[in-house]
Amino acid sequence: MSTAVLAAPFQAVFDANSQEFSLAGVIRPRSVDEIAYSITEFRRAIDEARGVLYINVKRLAQMNNTAFHAFSRVVLDACRTRSDIRFVVVTSSVVGWTERMFHHLGKIEPQITVEVYDSKFYPGQSFVEDTSFIPILRAQTKMTWRHERTILPRHGMRPGIAMADICCGIGDFAVLAQKEFQPARIVALDHSKPSLAYARKVAAEFGVTGIEYTYGDASEMLLEDNQFDFVTCRHSLQVFNQPELLLKELYRIVKPGGRVYITNEKNSHCLGEPRAQSIQWTYNELARLLSHFEMDVELGPKSRRYLADAGFDDILVESFMITNLDGDPQDFADVIAGWEKMFAAMAARHGEAPKFIDRFRQGFRDHIFAALHPKGYAGWPIWAASGRKPL
Amino acid sequence: MNAAQRQPAEAKFEPLLQFEMEMGTFLSDWHHCDQLSNFMARMISHNRTDPVRHSNFFSSALNELLEVSFRGGSPEGRIGCSVFRQGPKERVRLSFPCSPTQRRFFGEAVARTHKGDAYARYLDAISTDLAPSREIVLLDLAINFDAEIRLEEDDPPSISIIVDLPLEGIVS
Ligand SMILES: C[S@@+](CC[C@H](N)C(=O)[O-])C[C@H]1O[C@@H](n2cnc3c(N)ncnc32)[C@H](O)[C@@H]1O
Repeated sequence: MSTAVLAAPFQAVFDANSQEFSLAGVIRPRSVDEIAYSITEFRRAIDEARGVLYINVKRLAQMNNTAFHAFSRVVLDACRTRSDIRFVVVTSSVVGWTERMFHHLGKIEPQITVEVYDSKFYPGQSFVEDTSFIPILRAQTKMTWRHERTILPRHGMRPGIAMADICCGIGDFAVLAQKEFQPARIVALDHSKPSLAYARKVAAEFGVTGIEYTYGDASEMLLEDNQFDFVTCRHSLQVFNQPELLLKELYRIVKPGGRVYITNEKNSHCLGEPRAQSIQWTYNELARLLSHFEMDVELGPKSRRYLADAGFDDILVESFMITNLDGDPQDFADVIAGWEKMFAAMAARHGEAPKFIDRFRQGFRDHIFAALHPKGYAGWPIWAASGRKPL
Repeated sequence: MNAAQRQPAEAKFEPLLQFEMEMGTFLSDWHHCDQLSNFMARMISHNRTDPVRHSNFFSSALNELLEVSFRGGSPEGRIGCSVFRQGPKERVRLSFPCSPTQRRFFGEAVARTHKGDAYARYLDAISTDLAPSREIVLLDLAINFDAEIRLEEDDPPSISIIVDLPLEGIVS
């Protein structure tokens, strides 16, 4: 493991527009003098602020008591002299001790409250982090792996590397990658506690050790800069409402010269014969429906642009089609059945009429029909892309 | 580090890692606290359920302890730190030389972490003290890390602080 970032600098930044003072990184001063500048900035921020001042500690990886005390003092003193101001400390559930420590300030002064930002932070979260999603992910990875095991080496996967699978879901991919490519280290991160629990159970059952499953927000990771040779993020830029933020983080943690590999779909291009029209209609509607949840399941072909905008070079893009002929057609059918259930629930949540939902479901059933039909053909296209972080 | 064998009560704690160095060397650079706590945290967390977060939590706690010895220790002698594990708990045993005054002070500060008013004292210290005292640091460990802290009287001038941290349960 790298120890290069032991003396990681910290950042203290005030954004006057959002009235947000952010503390990030590692703050372990020997005395208050070392952070005097930041303390002064903090006072100034409070002087300028009207109404609510947000104190963002989402990415505060470490803070010693000396620093905690110094910043707390400023806030507590301000509460005593300014009855017109409120403080909201924005913590994350990932860095558990910040939530605990800052919580005490609210006990001292009611003007201070603590919010855990990642309890509800992107629109599709409740669906994606639900246990009912687990069997779908299982079946999906089983099918995509057939293709990806040969695709991955072209994008930089090789034995002995340090890799991270960000938004790992139930972790099947990490296990498969471990077995096939024997990387030296794998970190697998997701924000779904049920998925991670499942992942750990599966790994234990298969006697797989060494995968570091970790709970985290991919858009605000605790992982350090420039750590990994290869970073994967599969089917996930498309479910998170700010894919560019995820890419920024993937870029940050990969080593210069290392590669980030992403897979995404273009759902409206799912297809099948017979009953092509009904299938087509449903997947078009699906893309539209998910856009209401700020998910872009049409992202696949935009991968090149996203990677380029994030600063990657040497970008490779390829696509492949999962079909009912790849293996057991029933696997394909099972995935689609999972989609039908999940997406019908989302349609209902979005307030679609029962008539719409019936027709919507029918397209999935027709896709299954095509998959299981002796002369049928059913497909699900996926875009795999990667880019290199410049040296 | 043979404490585990010497004391039957500690027999269940299995040793994981230890370091020892001249106190003078330790005191020569403040960043040793940060560096040692991160390094040890990573080493001992790799087989915890969530290694990344366990390491982050553990480093926070260990760093505070090392800072305490940095601020309260005296330069002659050696500092030693051992980490043990028992199920979901880690035990840190930190030994370092300090003056008789510091010894007394640590004795009182540790005793206060066991009192019923520990939380009230902690809040009071945050809201009124101008700078954090070493007492708050120990209270912080007891309150924010659910730590159990005790002191062992070694041969003077050495002192050992023993801290049990049930972090696995908090992290996962
Ligand atoms: C469609 S699933 C894909 C999972 C896995 N990569 C696979 O291919 O099976 C999307 C995953 O992204 C995770 N996710 C989405 N946004 C995230 C974020 N900001 N931080 C961490 N995980 C996130 C979800 O919890 C979910 O497990």
